[in-house]
Amino acid sequence: MENNNNVLVVGSGISGIASALELANAGVNVYLLEKEALVGGHSASFCCKATDICSQCSACVVSDKVKEAITDPRITVLTGSTIKRLRGEAGDFHVEVVRRPLYVNGERCIACGLCTGVCPTDPKAIHPPFAEALPFSFVLDDGLCLRIKGERCDLCRTSCPTGAIEFDLKAKEEELNVGAVIVATGFDVFDAREKGSLGYGRYPNVVTGLDLEHIFAREGYLRLPTDGSEPKNIAFIQCVGSRDEGHGYCSQVCCKYAMRLAGLIRYQNPDARVTIFYIDLQTAGKGFAQFYEKYRQDIRFVRGVPVEILQTASGELEVKFEDISRGRVSRDNFDLVVLSVGISPAKNSWDLARILGINLADDGFFDVKDPLSRNETNVEGVFLAGTCQGPKDIPDSIGHGIAAASKAMQVLAKPVGRGRAS
Amino acid sequence: METKVGVFFCNCGGAIKNIDFDAALREVARLPGVISVNLDSSLCLEEGKERMVSSIRDEKMERVVVAGCSPLLKEHIFQGILEKAGLNKHLLSMANIREQCSWVHDGDVTAKAVDLVRMAINRVLLLQPVETKETAVSKEVLVAGSGFAALNVALQLSHLGLRTTVMEEGPVLRAGSEEPAAVYGVDASSIIAEVEANENVEVLTSARVMTLEGKVGGFGVRIKKAGKETFRRYGAIVLATGHRTEIVNPGAEAGASVVSQKAFTDILRNSSLEREPRTVGFILDFSDENSRFPTLATLNSALAAKKKWGSEIYVFYKSVKVDSEGVERLYQQARDSGVVFVKSETAPKIGVEDGRVKVEGRDVFAGEDLVLACDVLVAEELYLPAEGTETFSSLLNVRTDPKGFWQDDNVHLYPVGSEKKGIFFVGGCRGDLDPGRMLADISGVAMNIGELLSAGKVAADFERVKADPQKCVACLTCIRVCPHGAIQLVRVESSKDVAQISDLACDACGVCAAVCPAKAIAFQGYRDEEILAQIEAIKRS
Amino acid sequence: MNGKIVAFCCENSAYPAADLAGKLGLHYSENLRIIRVPCAGRVDVIHILKALENGAAGVLVLGCEEGACRHITGNTRAKERVEYSSMLLREINLDGRVVAMFNLSPNAPHKFVKAVNDIGNITAEPGR
Repeated sequence: MENNNNVLVVGSGISGIASALELANAGVNVYLLEKEALVGGHSASFCCKATDICSQCSACVVSDKVKEAITDPRITVLTGSTIKRLRGEAGDFHVEVVRRPLYVNGERCIACGLCTGVCPTDPKAIHPPFAEALPFSFVLDDGLCLRIKGERCDLCRTSCPTGAIEFDLKAKEEELNVGAVIVATGFDVFDAREKGSLGYGRYPNVVTGLDLEHIFAREGYLRLPTDGSEPKNIAFIQCVGSRDEGHGYCSQVCCKYAMRLAGLIRYQNPDARVTIFYIDLQTAGKGFAQFYEKYRQDIRFVRGVPVEILQTASGELEVKFEDISRGRVSRDNFDLVVLSVGISPAKNSWDLARILGINLADDGFFDVKDPLSRNETNVEGVFLAGTCQGPKDIPDSIGHGIAAASKAMQVLAKPVGRGRAS
Repeated sequence: METKVGVFFCNCGGAIKNIDFDAALREVARLPGVISVNLDSSLCLEEGKERMVSSIRDEKMERVVVAGCSPLLKEHIFQGILEKAGLNKHLLSMANIREQCSWVHDGDVTAKAVDLVRMAINRVLLLQPVETKETAVSKEVLVAGSGFAALNVALQLSHLGLRTTVMEEGPVLRAGSEEPAAVYGVDASSIIAEVEANENVEVLTSARVMTLEGKVGGFGVRIKKAGKETFRRYGAIVLATGHRTEIVNPGAEAGASVVSQKAFTDILRNSSLEREPRTVGFILDFSDENSRFPTLATLNSALAAKKKWGSEIYVFYKSVKVDSEGVERLYQQARDSGVVFVKSETAPKIGVEDGRVKVEGRDVFAGEDLVLACDVLVAEELYLPAEGTETFSSLLNVRTDPKGFWQDDNVHLYPVGSEKKGIFFVGGCRGDLDPGRMLADISGVAMNIGELLSAGKVAADFERVKADPQKCVACLTCIRVCPHGAIQLVRVESSKDVAQISDLACDACGVCAAVCPAKAIAFQGYRDEEILAQIEAIKRS
Repeated sequence: MNGKIVAFCCENSAYPAADLAGKLGLHYSENLRIIRVPCAGRVDVIHILKALENGAAGVLVLGCEEGACRHITGNTRAKERVEYSSMLLREINLDGRVVAMFNLSPNAPHKFVKAVNDIGNITAEPGR
C-alpha cells in the first residue's frame, strides 16, 4: 500500500501557511483548514512599520506567503471549517471536518461589490473583507443579516452575478484521509479589559497594540480615536497580559512591536513624544541591534509598569506609575496610550485538545513532548506550529512551521503501521 | 504575417460601472494585431475559463491579453488556460483595469482602460515562448562547521538520503567542546558517535574551502586538507560556523577569578576549584543588549551553583532576556531559589579587594550603590562572529550583517536563507543563539535542502534570462552585480567567454539586463523592447 | 500622453500596494500609467528618458523599502539611476524633480497614493 501523501494543516495563520508551502514544495498535498471565512490569521492584518528603511517587522512577508499559498495548486484551502473528529494513527488519519455555511462562496465570489450596494442594513451585513484579506471574497456577517435573523430579504443573493451567495445552507461534513496533522491555530490577544484599571474599553484613546496595527493598516496615519487629531504625546505600556499572574511567560513580540510602532509614529510626526513603560526590554534577535541605537535616542524609556490610567477633564489620559529610577510614584499625561497586549492561548484550545487528544501545558498553550524541539505532541503524527504552542514573532513562527513540516514529512516517509489492510 | 492577438475583457459580473465596455471593445478591435475581442462577466470562474479555452482554440489566437483584475492573483489561472488551449503560458499579458483603474478613479475611465489594454497588446506582440526544463542536481551537501548545529543538520540530511560532508577547519569536531553544549550539559559524544558511524556522512577535519564556483545544484568547491586539494561538487551548502565570545574587559588584576560562562560551567561540572565559592557574581546585558544566550546561560548556571554549593548568587543586569521558551519560568525559579538580581542602568565596576573580586554597581530598585565581594565572577561577554567569517564571506561572496555575522539583515531571507540559492545558515553563526530557535532552524534547513535536491533534478524556466553570445563582451559587470550569484563566465567556443545565467539560481529580477553595457541580456517578458513598447502605447491626449 | 505619469512598479512592493489601494477604495489621479517590473532594479535610465520623450509629465520608480529588497540591491540601483536621470534633466535645463524614486512595502497603499500625489503636485506646478 502506498504511503499517504496528504497532510492536514489546521489554521491558516503565518505558521500554518509556512508549513503548507514547505510541504507543497516537497510534493505533498496539503489541506489547509481555516475556521474563519478569510485566510491569513492575525499577522495578515499587521501594518508596515518602515520609516526611511525597513524595520524588519515581517508583516509584508505574511502577505507574500498568503498569496503564494492560495495560488499553489497543491494546497486546498477549506474556509469556514473545523475538525469534528480524529481517528486513525500516524500515517493514516481519518479526519471528520465540518464546513459551516459561509453564505458567500469564496470560490465564486469575484468581489464585484454589487451585493454591498443593495444590502439594506447599516452597517452592511455583506461587505468586503479587510483589504489584505485573501481570498478577497466578501463576507456575510450573520449577526447583522436580516435574512439570517428570520426576515425576508433576498437582495444580495439575487444581485450576485456569479451565484456566489446561497442561504438555506446546512453545514457540510467531509472526511479527509491524511498521513499527518499540523496544528497551527494561533493565538488570541490578552483581553485588556481584564486589567480594568488601565481603562481599555472605557477610554477610547486607550488602545491595544493590535488596534494600533489596524489603525495604521487602514488609515496609513495615526489619528486619535476620539477626535481624529494627531496625537503628540503617546505612551506604550509593556507586559499587559504577560510576565504576570496567570501568564508566566514573556510574550516575545511586544517590546519590538512597541519600539517599531514608536519609531513609525516619530517618523511620521517628528514632534510627537513617545514613552515606553517597561520591566525588562527585549531587544535581542537577528537584525534588531541596528534599530535599537536609534530607538534609544528617539524614545523615552521608563522602567516601571503603570497600574492605573484615568481620563482628565480635558480628555487627556493620566498614567500613574512607579518611577523606579527615581524611587517614587509619578503621574504623566498622554494623548494616546497603547497597551502592548500579550499573546495568549486561543480560547478554543480546550475543544481542539479534546478532539485531537493532545495535551495543554500549564500556561494554556498546547504541550510538547520535547521542550527544545517544540513540534511533537503526545500523539504521534500530530505536530504543532506557531503561536498555538507559545508566543513567537513572525520569523520564528515561520521557522517553527517549517520545522513542523519537516517532522510531518518524516511521518509520511515511514512505512504505514501493521494492521493496515492494503 | 502579423501575430494574432485575442483580447478578453472581464467586467467583473457587470459590477464595473465606470467603463463603457462596448466603446472599449470597439476601439481595441481596431488595433493592429487584434483578431478578436471578447467580453465576459467572470473569466476566472469555471464557465468563463472554459469559454476562454474554446475561444483561443477556435480563433487560433497566438497571443492573449486579459483585461480584468490584478494579475498578481489571477495570472496563474490564465496561464493555465493558455496551456490548456495549447499556447505557451508566457504568451499572456494582463491589463489591470479593476484594482488599478476602475476602483481608484471617479467618473468614466474608459480612456484609461483602453490605454492599459493598448500597453498590454504592444507588449504581448513581442513576447516569446519560454519552455520548462529539468536540470540534474548533485545530491551531496557540504556542511561547513562541526558544532552541535552542524552535526544535527548533517544527520537530518543523511536521513533524507543526501550524502553530507562535514568540514571542520580544526583538528577535531567541535560539538561538545563548544560553549552551548557545555552550558547545557548536552552529551555531544553520542551525536559525534552517530555522525562518525553514519555511512552517509563524511567527516573532514583540518580542512578548509579554498574556492567556490558554480551555482545551486552544482557548486564546485576546492577543499584543501593536509596540503592536498580536491575538487568536489555539492548541490547545496550549509554554513554552521558558530561564533566566538570575548570577555568584556574587567581589568586585568582580577585574574583567574573572573571567568567566562563556559569556564564556569566547566568549574561546576569538574569541581575544579580548591574551595567551593561562597559568593558568585554574574554580569549580564550591559555592553551587548542583543543576545539571548547570556541570560539563559546565567540562569542555568546560577541554579546549578545554588544547588551544588549553596552559594550566594548575585546577578548584575540591565534587562533579562526572557523572550525565549521557558526562560521566564527559569528566571522566576532562580529568584525563588534565592538568586539576587541587581538591576542597574550601567555596567558595574570591577576591581580586586582582599584577594576577592569586588563588584560595584547601582541597584535601580533600591536606589543605592551596592558593593559585592565575590569568589568567582562570571563576566559579561560579547557575542561575536567566528574568526575568519569575513574572509569566508568574501570567498563565497555571501553577505553578512553589520556586526559581521552571517546572513544579510533582510526579512525575505529569514530564517535560514542567504541571497544565493542553495546556501543556508544554521546555529549561532547567524548572531543570536537560542537553542529552541536553533533546533527549528536545523529542521528548516534540512527541509529546504531536501526539497531542492531529493529528486536529483529540478525543473525551471529554460533560458528565460540569457546573454547573447554575439553581443556579450565578457565585461563581468552582470556577474558582479547579480545579487543571487547566478551568473558565471563559460567558454563557448575555443576562445570566447560568455556570461551564462543559471536557470536554477536565477531569481528573475532583471538587474543584469539593466546593467549590461552591451544590452546583451534578454530577459523574456521584460526585455527593453517589451518595456518600451508599453511606454509608446500610452496615448498622447 | 500629456500630463501622464508613468510609474514603474516593482511586483514585490508597489504593484501589490497599488492593488491594495484599489481594494481600500483610495483615489488618485487618473493620469497614472503603471508598468509592472520584476524589480525596481530592472528599470534603466533609457526607460525613464523614453517615457519623458514620449510626453510623460513625470516618472515614478517604486521599489521596496531600503533593506527589504528581495534582490538585495535592486532598489538602491534603481535610486542611483533615478538620480542620474534627474541630473541629466537638470543639465539640459529641465526640472529634475519630475523623475522620482519612492520606497514602500506591498502592504503600504497609503504610501503609494502619496507618491502619486506628490509627483502629481510637482508636475502640476504652473509654468511647466
